[in-house]
Amino acid sequence: MNRRDFMKSAALAGLYLKVGPALVEGRTETPDLAQVQGENPAAITREALAVFGGMKAFVSRGDKVIIKPNIGWDRVPEMAACTNPEVVRALVEMSLDAGAKDVVVIDNTTNQAKRCYVRSGIQEAAKQAGGKVLFTDEHRLKKVPLKGEWLKEWEVFQDFLEADKIINVPIAKVHSLCRLTLSMKNWLGAIGGARNQLHQKLDQGIVDLQAFFKPTLTVLDAYRILVRNGPQGGRPSDTQLTKTVVAGVDAVAVDTLGASFFNVKPQELLYLRLAQERGLGKFELEKLRIEKRTV
Amino acid sequence: MATQAGFFGLFVYLFAVSHYTGQDYIGRTVERFFHFDPLIALTTFVASRAFFASLALAGATILLTIVLGRVVCGWVCPLGAVHQFFSFVFKKAKFLRPKKEEKASVSWKYAVLVFVLVGAVFTLDVVGVLDPLSLLYRSFAMGIFPALASIASGLIGLLYGLHINPAAQTISQFMDNMMLNATFRQGFLISLIFAGIIALNAKKERFWCRYICPLGALLGVVSRLNVFKLRIDEAKCIKCGLCTTHCETQAVPYPNEKWKSAECVYCETCAAICPTAAITFPAKAKPEKLATVDLSRRKLILTTALGAIAAPFFRITPARKRAGIKLIRPPGALAEETFLQKCVKCGECMKACPTNALQPALSEAGPEGIWTPVLVPKIGYCEYYCSLCTQVCPTGAIRELKIEEKTKIKIGSAWIKKDRCIPYTLGRPCIVCEEHCPTSPKAIKFVMVETKLSDGTTATQKAPVIDNLLCIGCGICENKCPVVDEPAIYVTSVGEQRSERNRLLLPE
Repeated sequence: MNRRDFMKSAALAGLYLKVGPALVEGRTETPDLAQVQGENPAAITREALAVFGGMKAFVSRGDKVIIKPNIGWDRVPEMAACTNPEVVRALVEMSLDAGAKDVVVIDNTTNQAKRCYVRSGIQEAAKQAGGKVLFTDEHRLKKVPLKGEWLKEWEVFQDFLEADKIINVPIAKVHSLCRLTLSMKNWLGAIGGARNQLHQKLDQGIVDLQAFFKPTLTVLDAYRILVRNGPQGGRPSDTQLTKTVVAGVDAVAVDTLGASFFNVKPQELLYLRLAQERGLGKFELEKLRIEKRTV
Repeated sequence: MATQAGFFGLFVYLFAVSHYTGQDYIGRTVERFFHFDPLIALTTFVASRAFFASLALAGATILLTIVLGRVVCGWVCPLGAVHQFFSFVFKKAKFLRPKKEEKASVSWKYAVLVFVLVGAVFTLDVVGVLDPLSLLYRSFAMGIFPALASIASGLIGLLYGLHINPAAQTISQFMDNMMLNATFRQGFLISLIFAGIIALNAKKERFWCRYICPLGALLGVVSRLNVFKLRIDEAKCIKCGLCTTHCETQAVPYPNEKWKSAECVYCETCAAICPTAAITFPAKAKPEKLATVDLSRRKLILTTALGAIAAPFFRITPARKRAGIKLIRPPGALAEETFLQKCVKCGECMKACPTNALQPALSEAGPEGIWTPVLVPKIGYCEYYCSLCTQVCPTGAIRELKIEEKTKIKIGSAWIKKDRCIPYTLGRPCIVCEEHCPTSPKAIKFVMVETKLSDGTTATQKAPVIDNLLCIGCGICENKCPVVDEPAIYVTSVGEQRSERNRLLLPE
């Protein structure tokens, strides 16, 4: 080996050491979470999906997609009680662009359904984007085995059972019983029956629901979060602009990052602890790969 | 017939669209029929001694009737159309065989009218019970359409059962958009009354219009010129009497000089049935010589006396003395006395309510308050940002409110039954009521409470407490309480700001 060859090999080795592992492991290197900040709720949602290579990474051609926002309350978007309609709009559009056959937007509301659908702005936004906005229908409830640790069976809307892909798109809010309502608590809108009884063991209940629904993707709307008088607010002063969207496959990780916007540690949220113990996801923020972007 | 069908269709249409459409304000068009009702205008005006501008439209009906006679009964009234339709059906089905000559007196409806009007002079407003528009609207809102909603639900279930999902889904989504309230206390009773009134058509054609309807009576009294007068061409007439036999309202077309213009509703059945086409209604401006309103002096005196002494009997009830615990009125409802003088029990508010919360009263408001609206939180609650009931009230018994104003109106107060409340008594977490409380800041707060459990251990839970000054009495807490049979949190009328006698906390 002459000097030139040595230099060449050394350079190549150096280059390999520098970028090699990334090249080799590159395919598995997708971050756990995308955290995107920006002025436009639709744009940050799109960017969050771009982190994972776009909606195509989650939705395949011909899929029946169901999108589950929080439309629980008869409140306008400025009150931050329901998911931001622009975030929902972006998800519907991207799902259709990815080739979804059918995109249904649905929630079992708490206040009168039509009022919630209209005044949250979600009905209009989702329809404009080409989605199918449905009111939940009692006839579509089916008692299914949840096989949870607490909830053995419960009534679930069949729309969720029939979907190929489920996208959970909650809004980040304070809640006086489970402290914060993030993605897992959102499943209460996918079920029927006497769901107000779930408050008796809410943390266990929502972990059981999360384990059952297993969403393909979780997108947390933290564009405007509710910091007081949750989970409804009622005054713009109850809200706070965070201008962020968090997306990920691991809902526990999404909720963990969401909790940080309220300066709440994941260990303080019982349902996150339970979810991690059940192997539903990770909540050690320092171990998560978070891709942060600003648009 | 086409005109009647048109007006009936319009009535049903305005009924059907009287709900949350996606707009905060739905306008006054939905209650227009009532504004043209001179009986409601007159009694409300007399009973409450207050004029309500929209009801000025009733003057148009009066003018029209003075000039043309009771055309409104025969061509416009949707309840008249219903009766005519069923009379026709019953006649076809041979349930009803009209007599050659009808002896029964048509004067009862005038007696009803006198009773209602004299009652109004003594501030008793019971017109809503018998006014044809109120009766029809109420029967639709609390009987017919809830039954239809139930049928639709059955159909949806059936279609899903047969796996015809797209059709089932279309109907289901349509019904959700129509927001038909399907649950009503007394819904069965109100339907039964309506069925009974329809069944009377098997006894006499348009029984209701002939003998009972006080609005028809009022229009009969004011009909004067009757420009189009019934004329029988003597040359053609074969004196068969078919016209009088089949006259829908006993107006006696034959013999010509006996024709009672105040009873004639211009349905022109006589002209149509006449085998020789001898009957026409040519225009003749000369006023009729009217001895036609058929009410004997005896009946007049009797009913006047009845109307006059009725008021005190209606008011023996304790509802006059003290506010009723369950008498939660919709936001914007006037103080109870004025409210009762104006409410015509039509059910517009109950139809428009998005949560089915407004229900017809039975005894809560005393006998004169029957079928007036009360909020029943166990069935529905007052939706925070909604003021539809205040917008659709045709007489202003519920004052029209802007949303911002409405959210501040206190209609009652919530109370906690600690012995039934899950955290207080059973030591488990709940506070569903607190979660649902719509005000900001919330009227329901929580405190940490220690509960001794049956096994001797102690549980510490968040338990609800109420800030009465913030509570508006909307009832969502009671509605959503998981203790379903007798909620552990409940709303009563005390503290309602419309009443000076039912107030609770004075400002500090």
